[in-house]
Parts: sequence; structure tokens; C-alpha cells
Amino acid sequence: MFTPIGSAEATITIFLDGRPIPARAGETIAACLMRAAAPYFRTTPVTSSPRLPFCMIGHCFDCLIEIDGVGSRQACLSQVCDGMRVRTQEGPAAIVGGQTQ
Amino acid sequence: MNIPTKPMLSGERQDALAVDADVIVIGAGPAGMSAAIELASAGCQVIVLDLQPTPGGQIFRALQSNLEARPSTDSLLAALGSAYNAGRTLIQQFRATAGIDYRPETTVWDLRADGTVGWLKGEMAGYLRARHVVVANGAMERPTPFPGWTLPGVMTAGAVQTLIKAGRLQPEGQIVLAGTGPLIFLLADQLRRLGVRPALIARTDRFRDKIFALPHIRPAGIPALLKGLGWLARLRLAGIPMRSRVTELKAQGRDRLETVSLTVAGRGMELSCDLLVVHDGIIPAIELAHCAGLALEWRESDASWRPKTSQDGKAQMAAGPALTSGPCRIRISGDARQIGGADAAVAHGRHAAKAILAELGRASVRPPVGAADQTATDVQRTMAARPFIDAAFPLGLAAQLPDDTTIVCRCEEITAGSLRTSIHGGATDMNLIRGVTRCGMGPCQGRSCAVTLARLLGEAATRTPASPAPFRARPPLRPLPLGALAKLSGLDPELAEVVSLEDKPEAALGGDTNG
Ligand code: FES
Repeated sequence: MFTPIGSAEATITIFLDGRPIPARAGETIAACLMRAAAPYFRTTPVTSSPRLPFCMIGHCFDCLIEIDGVGSRQACLSQVCDGMRVRTQEGPAAIVGGQTQ
Repeated sequence: MNIPTKPMLSGERQDALAVDADVIVIGAGPAGMSAAIELASAGCQVIVLDLQPTPGGQIFRALQSNLEARPSTDSLLAALGSAYNAGRTLIQQFRATAGIDYRPETTVWDLRADGTVGWLKGEMAGYLRARHVVVANGAMERPTPFPGWTLPGVMTAGAVQTLIKAGRLQPEGQIVLAGTGPLIFLLADQLRRLGVRPALIARTDRFRDKIFALPHIRPAGIPALLKGLGWLARLRLAGIPMRSRVTELKAQGRDRLETVSLTVAGRGMELSCDLLVVHDGIIPAIELAHCAGLALEWRESDASWRPKTSQDGKAQMAAGPALTSGPCRIRISGDARQIGGADAAVAHGRHAAKAILAELGRASVRPPVGAADQTATDVQRTMAARPFIDAAFPLGLAAQLPDDTTIVCRCEEITAGSLRTSIHGGATDMNLIRGVTRCGMGPCQGRSCAVTLARLLGEAATRTPASPAPFRARPPLRPLPLGALAKLSGLDPELAEVVSLEDKPEAALGGDTNG
């Protein structure tokens, strides 16, 4: 759905469900995973429907994902770090405090 | 661990409460940057809190890093054009102004009318307080519930722009742009320059709207109008298919978007689609103003709330019991106050700053009595195109309320039908409906569904509906990690007292009459 404008300059690596994904320092996790054509970031708690980012500016919370063991973080507001471990999130996960395991 | 907040400055007892700065500005977009520059240049201590890693707001998002990455970003910057590159001078000036304590990647999760701001940066959180607060947290795209709008492959125009600016990505495949408003044409023109050809631009607006809008044209608004006509002319020249009077938009697919169907002037059509980009204008982001207990007005014609402010941005408290004592120390500026775009935001930021300087007794030169107030004139001039734009691009995708099967609350997946059932069952208050249906109870805290629910309530009202009130807002407005919560800095006894009131909102608000 999205492709880099010019060279991607993806010189670092993050891991999505264990799979290495090239990332560019300074980009958001959401942008990185969109380039990697992730089919969804999470499924919804009620009907287990897949979701991808919708607004990209922190309003819709559709981009929730687990980052380094902490669930329900907003991928569109979080930047990539080398070696970061990201997991797609299935169904319910606590949001308040974002402290799920 | 170092806590970046200074303890309350002692000796600053001129105000009842100790302060960390003269002014806290929330948001480093055009309004926030321009207010901060003006204030700091006049000698004020200014703290600027912003969600993003670099200043610019959504309009100039990642401009600084894209400029630093040249020449590899040359084609990106060329495609984004003057609307984007225009931010360069403002950002440079913001960076170069001494006295601005700029704190990027900082979330604001609480705001009180007495000038107290709850912040979070990484794992650190705390409270700051200032004599004045400028809320410049910008706008959001109007939520547009239609069948299939939650499917992967459906995104807002703003989201695609953010992916271009900050992600350095361009969409590919079969792309449909649907909706109305200047942003959709700006985006289409930027895509054209990137060599991306949308399969269709499906416009909800009609030629008739433009005719009705003509009387709203003001001389000062003409440059903005010419810009818009330029986008349209280039899109037509490039032969990009464009239809107007589009209704009944639907996104279809199993686990992701596969096809889009819509009606053009009464005739149905369906096309395969990889990415559906929707836009229906922008509305002020009110969550901070609402959290602070400020007065909001519901605007039926615009299907949105906006804060009640005076021309210099001064907010007022909502009727009813207040959570804090003393005067309201908040001004609201830029799109968060009234949608006007970047130039209007810059002008208003400066105007609001001038008013604050006057209140602080630091206005540099007093204008001669009777002289035109330059910053006020600039605010008017930069808003001159708005009445025409509002009339020419009326509500489109959101014009009709969704049918019963359409999801309104994206988080809890509540349909318009179940909300209508609850409303027909007698519920007249948004908070009550939230309690019964869970609409607005998910992670976005009602950001995506509140305006639609307010309109559903209006639809059912037999008498003229009173101005609807949004869901009650409770801090934290954004998720606050427990670790950060445990070691909040800057908390003082008076605040702790207010926090305990928050625990018993019903008691604190007593005769709350949201309706
Ligand atoms: S995509 Fe909407 S909050 Fe992240």
C-alpha cells in the first residue's frame, strides 16, 4: 500500500512478532510497519477485527501495538529504536497505564 | 534519576500559586511557535510542550528533519510544495529564540484552568504551572462514519500526508480519494507531483455549493482561493478522474479493503481499491479545553464543538462548579480555537501573545491611542477566506447520519443502531449512553465518536436540542504509565486535593447538567 519516496535509508532493525524489519532512525513504528506491509497492527477486543492506523496523529488509537513488552502503545506516536521488539496485539489488552504483559 | 522539572520557584508569590514559567504553550505548530516566539522575545520565560520530536505541528510535520536529510529528500520536499516548505522560517526562528524551553516528545494528559499542566515524557511525568497557558493543540479530521470505515486500507487524508511527510512514503496501487475540503485537493496535487495517480477523486461537494459560496468571497481571501483553483486546474490537466455529488460511500472487504462502492448523481458504481483516503474537513481538537472545564459551543452547521473564546483567545469557564479556584489562565489559539489554517494560526498566536504581554505588563511599545491593532487586523485578514471555504465545502461524508449497521464508536465497535436504541429508550445524556453502551469508553476516550453521538441525540430530540455537552473528560487524557504516575513531580497539596475530587466526579460536579 505504501512505498518509500527515494531510498528508504533503513539502516536499523526492529522485530515484528520476531521477524526482522528494516527501519529508518527517526521514523514512527507505524510508518515502518506500513512500509513493511503489515496486514494489521492489532485485532479489536469485541469482534477480533484487524486494524491498521487510521489517523496517524494520535486520535483514533487504531494503531495500538505491543512495544518491548508493554501493550497498547500508539505506534503512530512512538519512534523506532534499533532492536525494538514489537508484537501485534490480539483482542483485549489493558490500556490504562499501558502496563500489560 | 534526574527529574527535569524544577521545583516550584520560591519568591514568585505574586500569584497565589508558585509557577514554573510565565507561560506554558501546548503544541509547537504554527500557533504555538508564533506565540512562543513573541512571548520569549519580550523577555517571558516560556515552556513549550509538544508531542512530536521536532517542531512544526501537523502541517510542517518533520520539515526540519526532511530539510536536514537533503539531498535525499529533495523530491519529497518538491512534491510537498510551498504549503509545506513555508514553515522553514518560522521553525528556524522558533529554534533561534532565546528563552523558549522547548520540550519535544512530551504528552499533555491534564490541564486545569488555574494554569496547571500534567505532562509525560518517556517514563517521567509531572505537573507544571504558569501564569498563562496557551493551548495550541490544533485540529483533527472530522470523524466520518460510513460502512466499512474501520477496514485496514481506509485512512484519512491527514494520515496519508503524515506518512508522506514523516514516513517518507507514498501510496501505491488503486487509490480512491473521497470527501471534500481543501486538504483533499492539496493531497491529490502532492500525489500528482509524486507521480501517483488516484483512480478517482470522489467529491461530495457540488458545483451549486460554489455558487452559493460566491457572496462570501472577500478580497483578502482571494490568494487562498486562487491557490485552490490552481490545484484543481492541475488535477484536471493531469486527467485525474474526478466526480462530484458523491453519496453512499461504502468500503468493502473481508480482512482488508477490496472494493469501494458509491453513488454519483444517482448512479451507483463500484471499483476495486487498495487504499481509500477519506476527508471531510477538520474540526478543533477540544480535549484539553474540555478537560480544563472550559466553555464549549456546539455548532450544528459544522457538526462540532469549539471553545468559547474572545478574539484574543481568552477562554472562559463552563457554567457549573469549577475544579480549580481563581481566574481562568488559559488562552486558545490556532486551529484548536477556530479552523483557519497555518497563516491564521501564526497570526492568532501572535495576537494571543500580545494580549498576554499586556496582562503581564510587558507590552514592549504601547500603540498610540486610536491606532489600528496590527495583530488583530492580521487575524481578520488571515481568516478572510474562511467563510467562502466553509460555504463551498459543506459537510460531505458526515452530512447524513450513519445507518443503523454502521459503526460509530471504532474502539468498542458500537453501531449507530444500538446508540439509537439506547436514545429511544430514554437516554438523553452522552455520559449515560457511555455507561450503558460503552460508546466512548475505549482507548480513544470518545475522540472518534463524540460528535456523531451528539448528532444522534439531536436527531431524536423532539424539542430543539440544547447545546449538547461532550463526554465528561477525566485526566489522564492519554495513557499514563503506572511507573510515571508513581513518581509525579511538581505536585502540591492544593493539586492533590483536586485530584481527590477527580476520584469522586459525581460528588465534585454535583448538579452537573450535561444534556
Ligand atoms: S493511527 Fe490513529 S492514533 Fe495512531
